[in-house]
Amino acid sequence: MAERGAGRRPDHLAAVPAVGPPPADAGDLLREVARGDEKAFGKLYDLVAPRVYGLIRRVLRDPAQAEEVAQEALVEVWRMAARFDPERGSATSWIFTIAHRRAVDRVRSEQAAGERTIRAGVASVDTPYDAVADEVNGRLERQQVRRCLDDLTELQRQAVTLAYYQGHSYPRVAELLGTPLPTVKTRMRDGLIRLRDCMGAGASA
Amino acid sequence: MTIDIHTLVGAYVLDAVDDIERAAFERHLRECDACRIEVTELGETAARLADNTWSVPPPWLRENVMTEIGRTRQAPPAVEAAPVTRTAPRRRRFAAAAAAVVAAVGAGSAVYAVQDQRVRDQRQVAEAARAEQARVRTILAAPDVVLSRQDVSTGGRVTVATSRLHNAGVVMLAAEAAPTGRVYQLWTIRPGGAPQSAGVLNEGQAADVVVLEGLPGATDVGVTIEPPKGSATPTLPLVADVKLA
Repeated sequence: MAERGAGRRPDHLAAVPAVGPPPADAGDLLREVARGDEKAFGKLYDLVAPRVYGLIRRVLRDPAQAEEVAQEALVEVWRMAARFDPERGSATSWIFTIAHRRAVDRVRSEQAAGERTIRAGVASVDTPYDAVADEVNGRLERQQVRRCLDDLTELQRQAVTLAYYQGHSYPRVAELLGTPLPTVKTRMRDGLIRLRDCMGAGASA
Repeated sequence: MTIDIHTLVGAYVLDAVDDIERAAFERHLRECDACRIEVTELGETAARLADNTWSVPPPWLRENVMTEIGRTRQAPPAVEAAPVTRTAPRRRRFAAAAAAVVAAVGAGSAVYAVQDQRVRDQRQVAEAARAEQARVRTILAAPDVVLSRQDVSTGGRVTVATSRLHNAGVVMLAAEAAPTGRVYQLWTIRPGGAPQSAGVLNEGQAADVVVLEGLPGATDVGVTIEPPKGSATPTLPLVADVKLA
């Protein structure tokens, strides 16, 4: 075990962020945002932006476009905050739903126009703080999602991930998988049910 | 509810329907309580899939968004039936806790560095902090890493990651503030041995990340509330007792 004695931090060496109580959760922040509190929105941004951006980027695959759509989605969160109803869902879920729909709308409109462009190169710029944030948060949360996805049947997993991460409609998923439409719809539903049970069990562990 | 509409729940939640189907489904939802419950639950599950996508946005995005909201009017609360949103039956505070943990990675490292090196120049402190962070990342990224989580009885959560491969572990505490004049102290418990201190937090410090070399031999990581500077033996009860696999 590391020799790590009593924590005494000399006052003059406050080179790193001071540690306060854990930040408020997204639901509390969103309520403040609904009252026009820009500072609360800043905190909410810090909490959800990596997932909002990451999700949109995963669907769009193009960092520049992902940035644009993430900005639209986050501004929509600000604009619509008063419409969030905690009775009907968690704040994070509400936010990711907005983000996911925006990404899917963009992908579909491009597919329709037949001009899906994949511009490479403009990678995100990581600050050291962000790199750590990415690693610690990502590692812990990814682990459970990945484990639960692995728990699905092949068809369930394909149906869920092709729709969610790539933004395909279920008829398109059926086509890609060479599977009848009703089967795809069913696999999406029972795949999600299985995920729900897996994540629920994991969360309380 | 009709069979047909009901089977659309999954596709709807995954945004795999077109606009017409979505509108039809949402119309149906207003009249179908069972469907609404299922959509809320599965919607929450689908949103968890976003956990898998962490990607750090470019730093300027924050500024752009903040500027944009500064000139964007907010919509008033909905008067009519709100659009269907998704629900969280289970509490999800981990994202918030994890954010605190992240902040603590920096702070914890500096404490560590300062203790080991006392007064040296800032650059060496930063280097040690980086080394500590690298160690944290290495352990968290180990192929055999096992995560154990436990709620802290006074609020918050402690997460322990252990890797036999690296013969080390990382304890991440993100708790509610300790009572005034009290501090959190971490302990490791080994078979047949007395609890050993694994670090004392500062007053007012509720989150920390600590690397513990040799942790895989231990059976438990405990958390107690102690007087400032900590105690030689844990003051019971433990506010968290994480059983290690």
